[in-house]
Amino acid sequence: MHETDENLMLAVRNGEVGKLAFLFDRHHRLLFDFFAKLTGSRAAAEDLVQDVFFRILKYRGTFRDESRFKAWMFHIARNARIDYYRKHHTGTLPAEDRDTEPQSRFGMPGDDLEQEQQVFLLECALLKLAPEKREVLILSRYQDMKYEQIAEMLGCEVSTIKVRVFRAIKELRDIFFKLSNEKPPCNVKKSVNSLRIM
Amino acid sequence: MQCEEVREQFADYVIARVEAPAPLEIVEHLSSCAACRAELDELKSLWMQLENAPATEPTAELQARFDVMLAAYEEGLRRPVHNWRRPVLEFAAAAALLVIGIGVGYRMHTPPARNPELAELQSELHQTRQMVALSLMQEQSATDRLKGVGWSYRLQEPGADVLQALLDTLMHDSNVNVRLATVDALRQFGNQPVVRRGIVDAMTRQEAPMVQIALIDLAVDLKEKESVGSLQQLTQDHNIDPAVRDRAEKGLEQLR
Repeated sequence: MHETDENLMLAVRNGEVGKLAFLFDRHHRLLFDFFAKLTGSRAAAEDLVQDVFFRILKYRGTFRDESRFKAWMFHIARNARIDYYRKHHTGTLPAEDRDTEPQSRFGMPGDDLEQEQQVFLLECALLKLAPEKREVLILSRYQDMKYEQIAEMLGCEVSTIKVRVFRAIKELRDIFFKLSNEKPPCNVKKSVNSLRIM
Repeated sequence: MQCEEVREQFADYVIARVEAPAPLEIVEHLSSCAACRAELDELKSLWMQLENAPATEPTAELQARFDVMLAAYEEGLRRPVHNWRRPVLEFAAAAALLVIGIGVGYRMHTPPARNPELAELQSELHQTRQMVALSLMQEQSATDRLKGVGWSYRLQEPGADVLQALLDTLMHDSNVNVRLATVDALRQFGNQPVVRRGIVDAMTRQEAPMVQIALIDLAVDLKEKESVGSLQQLTQDHNIDPAVRDRAEKGLEQLR
């Protein structure tokens, strides 16, 4: 029988910590993609996912009966991300520390080079946004979270999130157009690691 | 409606979060304002393109790291230590160790064959030390985790769970002093294959130069040939601290 995330987490909270393995299985890819897009680094993303699940164990007692797991997990993810940036004394990873190569360069269905280049530029533009703006865009676009969920997670009003998303996408567009007129489009470090896992 | 007022509503319509049709006043404004229409189309197009960015996939190592972490945590929980009980438990553990230690010392003076309780007492002592080490390594305070690492020195033959807890601390502890202390503690178990592997793995994954240098020193002292690959990787990494790179180069020479 399929157990809900919330029931699994309640079981974890109540001492059946082994059940966290099911939650990890369900959510670690999603979380990894979130962090990879947010930091531009696979190594950092893996560390952060590990950190989030460790924090889930550590703070499992704070999961309330009425909490929604995904929102709670992303709340923890956000704190982990803030601590990570604080530890690295930066609001975003410098280009030379990034190890993700925008994947679109390595072929897309139909091998549409123009589209490939567009997506590549868009990924570069996303990495140039301020972390707070990148975060709401990623949550909204890739994690498919509703404004209400994001607002709950970030502890602010829905209207604030709407404004933030709108500003973020406008700024993304400006950076995107700026990058379109630049060569090379962005400085992203190529690494053996990123190529290995393509 | 003014353009700015209309555009403030775009977050809903660009991202199609609102299923209901746009309010009449917005529709009317858009039909008569080419600039707002163009802006909306442009943002919508950008939003759609974002979807084309492929999802990034983690390596299998992430799963392995999680499994190790969960197993270590479960092991720690099997010996729960509640904060309010900890001082009492520590005192009890110390008292028990003293009594057991005296018992073991006393029995050591007579041949083991005539003292069947000796093995049991030694086992009890060992288990108590392991329990204290594992419990302390789970603590939130870095000072307590340091104590936990320190307890490992009292173990002649640590169980797999203690070694794993030490390796997990080396890999993931947020405090650099705890990680450094763990490198020192692992030295005593350098004859264990799992420890040697852990040291090699950690070498390229640590971020603190001090810990990296301590790991290189340890690998060289243990004459761990398997570390050559990691050392070469460090010598070629131009982003790491120059002192680490120099030490890695020297380490390679020493292992040759």
